[in-house]
Amino acid sequence: MADPRVRTAPGVPGALAGRRVLEVGDEKGMYAGKLLADLGADVIRVERPGGDAARGLPPLLRGAPAPGASVPFFYLNAGKRGVTLDLEHPRARELFLRLAGGADVVIESLPAGGLDALGLGFGALRATRPELVLVSLSGFGRSGPRRGFATSDLVAAALGGLLQVTGEAEDPPVMLAGMQACAAGSLVAAAGALVALLHARRSGRGQHVDVSLQESAAALGHICGAPKWLDDGIVPRRAGSGLFASVPSGAYACRDGLAYLMVNRPAHWTALARWVAGATGVQEILDPMFEGPSSARLPYRELVDLWVAELAARFDVAGFCREGQERHLAVTPLQGAAAVARDPQLAARGFFVDVAQPGGGSLRLAGAPYRLSATPWRVQRPAPAPGEHNAELLGGELGLGADELGALARAEVV
Amino acid sequence: MPGGALAGLRVLELTAAMAGPWIGRFLAWCGAEVIRIESREHPDVVRQYVPPRAPERGVQPELSPWFAEWNAGKRFVALDLRRPEAVALALRLASISDVVIENFSAGAVERLGLGYEDLRRARPDLVFLSTSGLGDTGPCRSHVTWGPNVEALSGLAALSGFPGRPGAFTQYAHPDGIGALHGLVAVLAALDHRARTGKGQAIDLSQYEATAATLGVELLELAVGGEEPPRPGNRSRAAAPQGVYRCAGEDRWCAVTVADDEAWRALCGVIGRTEWEADPCLATREGRLAHADALDAGIEAWTAARPAEEAMARLQAAGVAAGVVQTAADLARDPQLAARGFYEEVEHLRAGCAVVTGVPLGLTGTPGQSGRAGGRVGEDNEYVLVGLLGLGRDELRRLEALGAVQPPDPR
Repeated sequence: MADPRVRTAPGVPGALAGRRVLEVGDEKGMYAGKLLADLGADVIRVERPGGDAARGLPPLLRGAPAPGASVPFFYLNAGKRGVTLDLEHPRARELFLRLAGGADVVIESLPAGGLDALGLGFGALRATRPELVLVSLSGFGRSGPRRGFATSDLVAAALGGLLQVTGEAEDPPVMLAGMQACAAGSLVAAAGALVALLHARRSGRGQHVDVSLQESAAALGHICGAPKWLDDGIVPRRAGSGLFASVPSGAYACRDGLAYLMVNRPAHWTALARWVAGATGVQEILDPMFEGPSSARLPYRELVDLWVAELAARFDVAGFCREGQERHLAVTPLQGAAAVARDPQLAARGFFVDVAQPGGGSLRLAGAPYRLSATPWRVQRPAPAPGEHNAELLGGELGLGADELGALARAEVV
Repeated sequence: MPGGALAGLRVLELTAAMAGPWIGRFLAWCGAEVIRIESREHPDVVRQYVPPRAPERGVQPELSPWFAEWNAGKRFVALDLRRPEAVALALRLASISDVVIENFSAGAVERLGLGYEDLRRARPDLVFLSTSGLGDTGPCRSHVTWGPNVEALSGLAALSGFPGRPGAFTQYAHPDGIGALHGLVAVLAALDHRARTGKGQAIDLSQYEATAATLGVELLELAVGGEEPPRPGNRSRAAAPQGVYRCAGEDRWCAVTVADDEAWRALCGVIGRTEWEADPCLATREGRLAHADALDAGIEAWTAARPAEEAMARLQAAGVAAGVVQTAADLARDPQLAARGFYEEVEHLRAGCAVVTGVPLGLTGTPGQSGRAGGRVGEDNEYVLVGLLGLGRDELRRLEALGAVQPPDPR
């Protein structure tokens, strides 16, 4: 059952073993299917013949000219199977509906209303199987005055309120790496699918799950959102590394790099104040006026920052983090990708997994975001080549003969 | 089915701050009964709230808007878990629960006798989620972290931001939310597994790993190329031009993504740059990427002359992805969010009513609902201990006298 192209512990079925998911659309929803696939679901990505445009998303894997050489495509689709169908063609739509009839969930991120226009909307899908769950991931949801707006990860992060509070005060608002608005929307889509599946298991009825990237982003950033503003009238803005409500917090310069320190609890402040006083001789920091929750220190942010900076400058990053953690203070290094790739904590937990790449060799992929004790997280296979599973799914399962499949392929229906 | 998609499910929380409670918040919205154990000795950091508009009132444990955000719709029981009688009550609560979520400091629930091995004896098919900064195993498992620490640790900050500028941090503790959403997915998948097999399990969630998983493309780029991926600022290698452009007014901006050649021609039309549209050097994404600085300057010359809302409306009308960089105040009056009823008004036990951020699950067949906010520590002792566990009132008074159960402060 284990794919020899993936070097992970084989064997135990995942939590979602037996669940089948069809996925169609652009890169915005790919992480949703990946989450479900790595939990054991059989996720089938439906692409247009020859493969979706997302297979060309830069950067490309070196020395691998084949379609599927895109780094984003490879990571976000590892674990899935792939079929190709030209949904503009009636025969392909019929095959899609037959595949949907054997699935538990369809996840789509086509342009708003795209599935309906193809005659593959929720009504048509539900007719194939009453328990079916359809998840539509779109920029703004399927209702409301802006349902037809065009979107992107950046635009969703902007309208969801994330950009305004990310980056330096003197710079323009800036996005996060990793298409984080799409990641949030995909996580919400996966969760919505699973809630609907649990409900369908009891009720026998599926439903349409209508996920908005803007709402997913606004929910993720709610600490800086509308309800807080309604409460206190403060509009949060970009402020560099320090969190506006926590004093001290921020990235401080050690001798060889930056470390992040944050104090939230009164006991943590006491430990930090003693450390600063002991190491730097600054006794004023022990004044009781600074004690208590962060709010007590909000008026003294600049002064406290100076003292912490003086402390941090005496250490290298590793020493500052070690001594801080020994005092139960939240002090961590600022790491780039290379430092993450060799982080001993991740190594001890076996975070990275090796997956074969097209054209030979293997690639190290970021691994499990969670550990399930009875049903281990697992990458089931490398990302599929275009139409890699046409024969086993359209032929083997739906019963198309080799001749018919060949004819459909020549007509570019599959 | 009345009461939401997860009606009948019971969840017990040993949680504080956001990362744990926000998971239960989603489940409560879906109709699950969510019970949080708290104590006076270890108050949730978010209950240490001093209202910025009235600091003279001091700490107001029920009034934090964040406390409402993370706990609307839950029940609150107050137990002093240093007492064996209280631990026994917690075990009885676990025995009638389907899910337990904990995010106490490393090793704390085990020391209390409320770790997974203890709880599964009380409830063999329990789904148990432990969420922490760095996970329950490994040399750094006991490290203390908050959400922003994980932005630093995971590469998120260093990989984000403008070239030559500091790595970008958020003001909203991004990994707290990302970790919680991953935790939610894991719990739901484990419930589906339990429904099929009858078996529960323990889930170990590391915010660090969950955040790193969302950076899988950047981490793979490093593995392939051997070099640190460049900081992108607001640019994309897949779409050009893309940026955040200054608009009229103080700190007003509009984000724009030109996704393809069709959107490029539309952009040129809207901003009156017919010479760009005619320029073959700019007809392809690669060509536009090579001239990104000049294009950004030209687009900003147009946006800077008008309000962000106008820039967005005119670009969207032509099919170009564009969006105002919204503030908290903008979100409160966003017509799209309002039309979809995203923000919810709920009953607040202290303040009368409160607005909370919606839960974006989009369940059109079984729409969820946010419940009441502003519960005190121990608000629902009677409901939980008498109503659910069947304790007699005399027994409750005895446990209160012992200090195992802590009655709520009078209103």
